[in-house]
Amino acid sequence: MKKSTLSGALQVLALILFALSLSSCASNPPLCSSPQTKNLDAAVGVVQRSLNDGCAAEFDRYYDDLLTLAEGDPKPENKRAFSEFLVWSTDQGLLSQRQAKEYYNRYFNVKFVSLEGDYNNCSHTCPRRDQVMRNMERELSDKERGLLHVSLDNAGYYRADELYQEVELVLEATCTACAAGR
Amino acid sequence: MNVLLIPKSPRNPATMRIRRIFWSFALTLTLPASVFAQGNAPTIRLFPTTVVEDLRQTSSVAKEMETGLQEVIGRLDQQQQLYQESKCDGAESDPGCQRLAKQLGATYLDMLGIMDERLPDMEHTVNNTRLSLEKRLRSELGNKMTPWTLQETLLGSGSQATKSPSPAMRGRSGMRLSERFSQYYQLVASSGSKNDQSLAVLASDIYLDMDETSELIARTREEISRATLIEQLNQSFGTITPEMMEVVGGVKSILFGDEADYVQVAGPPPGSIEQAYRSPLEN
Repeated sequence: MKKSTLSGALQVLALILFALSLSSCASNPPLCSSPQTKNLDAAVGVVQRSLNDGCAAEFDRYYDDLLTLAEGDPKPENKRAFSEFLVWSTDQGLLSQRQAKEYYNRYFNVKFVSLEGDYNNCSHTCPRRDQVMRNMERELSDKERGLLHVSLDNAGYYRADELYQEVELVLEATCTACAAGR
Repeated sequence: MNVLLIPKSPRNPATMRIRRIFWSFALTLTLPASVFAQGNAPTIRLFPTTVVEDLRQTSSVAKEMETGLQEVIGRLDQQQQLYQESKCDGAESDPGCQRLAKQLGATYLDMLGIMDERLPDMEHTVNNTRLSLEKRLRSELGNKMTPWTLQETLLGSGSQATKSPSPAMRGRSGMRLSERFSQYYQLVASSGSKNDQSLAVLASDIYLDMDETSELIARTREEISRATLIEQLNQSFGTITPEMMEVVGGVKSILFGDEADYVQVAGPPPGSIEQAYRSPLEN
């Protein structure tokens, strides 16, 4: 009799604890803490788990965390790690292909995503040339981080910098010519 | 996780004004250097024969102007030297010095006269070149290209290909005016051996240079008549203004180049081609 009362009480206690744990899960959002490790591959693993555990909204922060971490151990192979992480993110449905490309190319490609556009320069680029150049300048600083500080691609970064200057010169001339033709 | 590894590769306001203009003129006319690269045959037509001919003509007109001014500037140098050696600075009331000052002023007027005579031709040829290039840039780069295609043109066909470091743009100095235009001509005349990438930059560089030059020639022409009038008045008093000498210095630097120091900027550290990585996400 005593034994059955004790086991019943334990069952109730277990049920209460289970219910409490469930309610705490429902009310507490995931912590989404930044990876603590200094190893990029390990950090990518931690981030992947967090993203799958309800922290997808923190993608931008995680990407920035990974970049900061990689700056601490710069090497050409880091490009691949970021590429693989972004491909994984599209596979998981966290990012669209387009978003993944933008995240990668903004930091690790010589070409400027700021120059995407389907309309001609006279009609589309020239009216907003200052804005385009400001966007390119910001992107160049991201490229400095990705190409130079993360993956040690000095040649790539200097080519991007040169491309920025060439675009500035060619757009100045082209837009002056476009304006003169109006 | 489909990742590919591929290899990558004065005091008188009038003379002050003209001096300012001359200096800006000098700066503008000592502008661009250009980008050279070997590569594919051009597919954009930025330099048709008319533009090439306009450039040749500009070079030849600049040469004529230089020849015309060379003698008068030489004379000015000699007269100035004589003036200084005679210790005329601070002895302006001396009759001998007054005579020297008048001679100097007259030569200065000769120089202004020659410039006034030659500048219209110069203005005409520079404008022709500017207008031809303007039309081409508008059509080929402005209307036919999107920002993305423009970027790809500038990068060349191999988007990741790195090219040899190019000279700094818009910074050439210490060069004769005629030489500048002659170099443009040479560059453009041999444009068949260059790719679109360098042609787009070259055309833009020349066009912007011509645009500024054209404006400065027009302003200089306006100022020459003013400076001539002021100097004619100075002739009555036999004075030499230091500004006058600065104007002469400015003209000399425009026409014959100045002794500019070339600052050698260190190139970028070499990239590691073997370690290059190309992501499937790259555009």
